[in-house]
Amino acid sequence: MSNHLKIIKLSGRASVQDLGRLNSQHLGFSAGGAADEYAFRFANSLLDNDQNHAALEITLGQIQLQAGCDCFIALTGADCKATISQQDLPTKVINNWQSHLLKKGQIITLHQPKKLLHSYIAVKGGIQSKIWLNSRSQSHSESNLGFTGKTLRTSDFITIDINQKTLPPNNKTLQRNSTPQSFYADNILTLRFIPNSLYLSLDRGWQRQFTQQTFRISADSNRMGYRLNGNIAAQTLASELSKPVNYGSIQIPNQGQPMILMKERQTIGGYPTLGTVMQTDLFRLSQKRPGEEVRFTPTTTAKAQVQLTSFLQRFYSL
Amino acid sequence: MQVKNPISIEGNSENTVLIVWPERVCQHQHQWITDYQQLIKLQLKHYIVETISSYNSLLVYYKFELIAYKPFSDQLHYLWRSLSKVASTVTKSAVQRIEIPVYYGLEAGWDLPYLSQVLDLTAEQIIEYHSDAVYRAYSLGFTPGFCYLATLTPFLQVARRSSPRLTIPQGAVAIAGQQTAVYPSASPGGWHIIGQTPMAMFEITEQCFSPAITPGQQVTFKAIDYSEYCRLGGIISLENHE
Repeated sequence: MSNHLKIIKLSGRASVQDLGRLNSQHLGFSAGGAADEYAFRFANSLLDNDQNHAALEITLGQIQLQAGCDCFIALTGADCKATISQQDLPTKVINNWQSHLLKKGQIITLHQPKKLLHSYIAVKGGIQSKIWLNSRSQSHSESNLGFTGKTLRTSDFITIDINQKTLPPNNKTLQRNSTPQSFYADNILTLRFIPNSLYLSLDRGWQRQFTQQTFRISADSNRMGYRLNGNIAAQTLASELSKPVNYGSIQIPNQGQPMILMKERQTIGGYPTLGTVMQTDLFRLSQKRPGEEVRFTPTTTAKAQVQLTSFLQRFYSL
Repeated sequence: MQVKNPISIEGNSENTVLIVWPERVCQHQHQWITDYQQLIKLQLKHYIVETISSYNSLLVYYKFELIAYKPFSDQLHYLWRSLSKVASTVTKSAVQRIEIPVYYGLEAGWDLPYLSQVLDLTAEQIIEYHSDAVYRAYSLGFTPGFCYLATLTPFLQVARRSSPRLTIPQGAVAIAGQQTAVYPSASPGGWHIIGQTPMAMFEITEQCFSPAITPGQQVTFKAIDYSEYCRLGGIISLENHE
């Protein structure tokens, strides 16, 4: 069978992702899923795929894939100056945020991006990897359990759907409704968060200090959580009984540096939390690199819902 | 048994509501929480994506595209009131007791020497305290199939390790604070290991994950000797001192 993409070279990190397994958290499974839903959904939309079709999430580029058959792919997220090459033919630079035809034998190469972190390669019909509890998403901390296949390495084959021969429509609406340039913040990202009762019980001075400073993203950040360095006054927050945590929970561990929980978070945590960053800002945060800066500003559940609804409508109402 | 109302029911994100009860490890309160969780799953099933309970809290993921936050939280309030009114008729989930065989030998209980020192107890006393009690399962989480059990006798309560181990072996029986648990698979962790069990903490059938322990159940530990441990299929993971 040749219904695959073969990984010729992989220097960074790559995994299969869809929208995750939100409904298996009560068993202790991480929700997981694509770190940046904007780029992920954009890629599926370019191919007229289902929004939950699995795609390849590549962190910091540096991957080479060879097509075992003709297939349509879409490339989004961090711009890796991708090229398509074939023996005896000149190498062709291809555009990011677009769909492309990859012919049998051709090789797509992604270089290290200058900005953002994650790139997505979606294939028409979705990647056909192992499904576990309604999702193909791979979580690093659960990889030893083997439910969703092994961690991707050089020489691995990524199975694709061979029955997808039609050219997807060139989706102009998508381009018009939303441009990647306007989605990602270039400078300091403002994280709008829904404060919880603990945050609201802290004194005004402390809240002002929290919202008026910039935090630097620590090198110790990943798909599980983003650690931030800043100067917040030691606040004696009582440690609590372990509680379920959320996508975007702002935890304050003992050292006082905030940690924002991301897609591959654990399900339960014992550190005090101040609230939850709204999801559309978490997609933006997931593309920020260590050393970049963020700040916080409070919002409300209602406003966050409006943002998420209009975000989702871009992808569902095309 | 009088039940305390939740101290808060609040929107925790675009699609979740967090419900919190008084900060305590209490099996009566926890029983109310799990009964309430069952009621929510049953009565509001069209809106519910997932519910996760813990010692004194319940996180509900709902379909915010189908129902606004206000009417949804009104429903949650209403269900709590109707549940607490019919206190006497609440069907307690059939309490099934699960017995976990544990080999507490020194080569399996990596932290027994350390704990003997800080708790001022002999290894035998630690084992006796640990295997004498009946625990309640309060929450599944941390890793797949990991179930938080409480309450550990005050004589065994000790803070978790200051630096977590990179790998705690599958089957490790461990304690931290007022809790005890079995590590279902190898993972990093900061709890103190007092023994190892050959019992699998989950079963997998086609697209179905069944944890050995679910919240609300009762759990006991039974000391077994090395030959019994081997007979049950156990293989000791020795500590790697590097």
